[in-house]
Amino acid sequence: MLSTICYIGLFLLLAPWQEDVYKAKREKMVSQQIQRRGVKDPVVLKAMRTVKRHEFVPADQTKNAYDDRPLPIGYGQTISQPYIVAYMTEVIKPQSHFKVLEIGTGSGYQAAILSAIVKEVYTIEIVPELGKSATEKLKTNYRNVQVKISDGYHGWKENGPYDAIVVTAAAEHIPPPLISQLKEGGKMVIPVGSTFLTQMLILVEKKNGSTTTKNLLPVTFVPLTRKKSE
Amino acid sequence: MHNSTQSKDHSSTRLMLSLGILSAAIIAFQLALMQILSIVQWHHFAYMVISVAMLGFGAAGTVLAFFRQRLLQGIGWWLPVLMISCGISMSLVVYLSQLSFIRFDSYMLFANYTHIGRLLLTYLLFFIPFLLGALAIGLVFDHYVAIIGKVYFANLLGSAAGGLLLLALLWYLYPNRLPAIISWLPVIAGAMIIPQLHKRTGALRLFALLACVMCALTIVFPPTLHLSQFKDLSKTLLLPEAAIKMERTSPYGPIQAVSSPVLRYAPGMSLAAEQPVTASTAVFLNGDWLGAVAGYNQADTTFVLHNTSFDLPYKMADRKDVLVLQAGTGLEVAHALSRQATRIVAIEPNAVLTTALQQTLSADNDSLFYHPAISVHTTDPRIFLLTDTAYYDLIHLPMAGSFGGSAGLYALHQQYLLTKDAFMHMWPRLQEDGAISISAWMDYPVRHPLKLAATLAEVLEALNIRQPRQHITAIRSWSTISFVITKRPLTTAVVQNIRRFCNQWQFDPVLLPGLQPGERARYHFLQDSSFFQHIDALFSNDRNALYANYDFNIKPATDERPYFSQFIRWKNLSHLAAYFGNRSIPFFEIGYLLVVITLVQIAVVSFVLVLLPLFRRGWKGKHKTGVLLYFGGIGLGYMFVEMVFIQHFTFYFGHPVYAAAAVITVLLFFSGCGSYMAGRFAGNKKAMVIITAIIIVLLCIYATVLMPLLQQTKHSALPVKTGVVLLLTAPLAFCMGIPFPAALSWLARMEATDIPWAWGLNGCVSVISTALATIIAVEAGAALVLWLAALAYCLPLVVWSRWL
Repeated sequence: MLSTICYIGLFLLLAPWQEDVYKAKREKMVSQQIQRRGVKDPVVLKAMRTVKRHEFVPADQTKNAYDDRPLPIGYGQTISQPYIVAYMTEVIKPQSHFKVLEIGTGSGYQAAILSAIVKEVYTIEIVPELGKSATEKLKTNYRNVQVKISDGYHGWKENGPYDAIVVTAAAEHIPPPLISQLKEGGKMVIPVGSTFLTQMLILVEKKNGSTTTKNLLPVTFVPLTRKKSE
Repeated sequence: MHNSTQSKDHSSTRLMLSLGILSAAIIAFQLALMQILSIVQWHHFAYMVISVAMLGFGAAGTVLAFFRQRLLQGIGWWLPVLMISCGISMSLVVYLSQLSFIRFDSYMLFANYTHIGRLLLTYLLFFIPFLLGALAIGLVFDHYVAIIGKVYFANLLGSAAGGLLLLALLWYLYPNRLPAIISWLPVIAGAMIIPQLHKRTGALRLFALLACVMCALTIVFPPTLHLSQFKDLSKTLLLPEAAIKMERTSPYGPIQAVSSPVLRYAPGMSLAAEQPVTASTAVFLNGDWLGAVAGYNQADTTFVLHNTSFDLPYKMADRKDVLVLQAGTGLEVAHALSRQATRIVAIEPNAVLTTALQQTLSADNDSLFYHPAISVHTTDPRIFLLTDTAYYDLIHLPMAGSFGGSAGLYALHQQYLLTKDAFMHMWPRLQEDGAISISAWMDYPVRHPLKLAATLAEVLEALNIRQPRQHITAIRSWSTISFVITKRPLTTAVVQNIRRFCNQWQFDPVLLPGLQPGERARYHFLQDSSFFQHIDALFSNDRNALYANYDFNIKPATDERPYFSQFIRWKNLSHLAAYFGNRSIPFFEIGYLLVVITLVQIAVVSFVLVLLPLFRRGWKGKHKTGVLLYFGGIGLGYMFVEMVFIQHFTFYFGHPVYAAAAVITVLLFFSGCGSYMAGRFAGNKKAMVIITAIIIVLLCIYATVLMPLLQQTKHSALPVKTGVVLLLTAPLAFCMGIPFPAALSWLARMEATDIPWAWGLNGCVSVISTALATIIAVEAGAALVLWLAALAYCLPLVVWSRWL
């Protein structure tokens, strides 16, 4: 009993200090990992500074939460590298009135970042365990986020159309229902790469009845050949 | 006196039989572990298992060096104890390795460093049975050194039988059941040699009985294999209502079919497609994605591939006669049928898969393989190409790469269907209007599409096509690229058809006669134009400059270096790291890096566990340099030959498991025969010099002519090919079986304390040479490995000439 009281006392005593440590880590993460790589949108940077990433990673990964890399969250999924989250958020050019659909809630971190910027976030997770865990993490501080445990293939028609769609779990084809739920002029972003390494983002834009894609490269790699010829 | 001799002979025969059974168990267990790790992780851990097994042998030499006298004095007790313990540990280690706090994950090695400790713990666990078994074998070698040829013969013959045994078991048993079955063998081997009149006979019998109980329990309750959470099967089973609807085992590995109402497959489907994709069944091999099974005659839906770039060859011209190489789950066969092909020949080497598609999964593919237009051949595609006499409008190949990149998991896959030589064999099978089609995923940085374009460009050049760009077209969706090469130049009408198809489904042409630069990215924009510049360079005189300067290896694969998916260039790693960060690098080429890491780890561990203790103990022998060079040389040479033969015979037979079994069996059997005769040469220096010289000469010849010879006879009937393999392998293996026992026998007479050193060194070098041979084969080709093997055998030659 006494030891429990001691632990609780110690926790209460150290908690504010711990929060300061995380805040400092977030600042460092934003300046060194995100701003330095070219993310400029102030609302995105603010969200990245505000949302507590360490609350969205498994307990054994808390110490690595602000590392410049993706982290495993179980079920063969990862929480994306902070820079990729910021970059994906920036490319959809989020506005405060936006309604955004996210396919693949995962840890819930991307939804939390979007929640800090846009009006409404709808997010769908297919793995029940991940969906429940994300719901728990988001319900208190991110009230404009609605989580649904379901197959994201059909989108969330009832709340559409959406200004933007963020697909965090890439499929080898883009579901037609998602394209139809995207507003005219809307943007959809899809990361493509192997586990632990997002190599490319596909930005889908719907304009004048035509759907086009653009490869956005989080890391623009210049092969040596070009360097030499320059 | 006569009775005593008879009894001695009888006990010697029993011991040899026991040794043979133990050796069979060790090889079978090694192959079973390779299969298990291929399932729970990826096939790269095969190298780890081979290395761990060799390490067991090396470490056994060290233990023998330290406790030789004590062990030899109590050999009657120790031999059965070691063998039975080996059996018990075989039955337990897979169980233990699957415990949640020991289980490692390859991907997590780079994300969570505790998994490095788990990997080392797994090494240690797997090492135990090999150490115990090798100790028993080493004791027999040492104690019966006077008849070493006979002993080594029993050892090698048993090992050969172990390879065959495992191959037979793989047809009937799931890999998790294999260790329990195999573990009986060492227990039986140990029980056979329990001495009759020993003070501890009762204790030994009780021990054997307990071991039997334990082995029986593991047969009844086999370990559950936990697949990596990052394996395709693990992720698919998380989908709603996902269920395994079919499960089969085969020497290729277990095949599972999974169905789920949310499982859909339409690679790179056009964004203009409005119809949702219907659910399909997916098939997995060793837990990795193999393909989707889809019906072809649903009246209400479009066939799934009609809205993809894969449809390109059918939009260019009518394709009535279609050959689908490596048909897999039959999706491309169904595609051809949906495009009114009237004769479709499907080639798939995996018989278990085709049987499953014809039986259990026939409802999922609308009984595709019973359609009168389709004929299925269960054979290797390359062998089929050499024996077939028909002509086709279209030859279709499976897709290269995997969606999102495979992180280099397939870097060490020998893909004989994607070599330049393979395309050269396809060309004569085309009708005058015929075409070859192949697709790849668009990856970044671009690797697969460029290597494919390079291969096709070189093939067209090798065929003396004057204007290659008139014979090739490529189109791009948002995630795929499809290439078609044609025997006749592309006509204006065909070019128009391609443009129409691209406009309809919003694809962008990449290679097309008369293409305007603006046409290449109308729907799918790239960050810059470098991809197009590189594609153009491949069809120009700048090709070699691009090969030399590109950060990845995009030179076409050949039969000699059949690693199509191997892209890493070590000298450019720092350049990649500068862009992507050090932590990202492993995920470009995790498969290849795992082999390199295995090599480094195992080299360090073998040094620490084998050589360091021996150094600490001190080496008092007179022939240190001679022993070092001799046993190091034959260890390196033998393993190099074994690894190259496995690779070459995989090409020859078209089946990696059969090839491995054939090589191990034939090589070990004839080496065993050689060792049986070794006693005759042991004291004859001249004979040993001649034998070693024969090995070197044969290896030099093989380095030059082996692959061309196999290419020339690959189409022959199986009995002929078996004869060729025997003819090629038997004399070499026979000779290679002699140097080890002959030198051990010589050492026993001259310097017995050197025996553990010889044993340890041989094991240590063998450990390193398995992974090393693979790395050299990938980087410089298998021929160089054979040349190096010849060089390694020069060391014993020098030793025989100078020291002995």
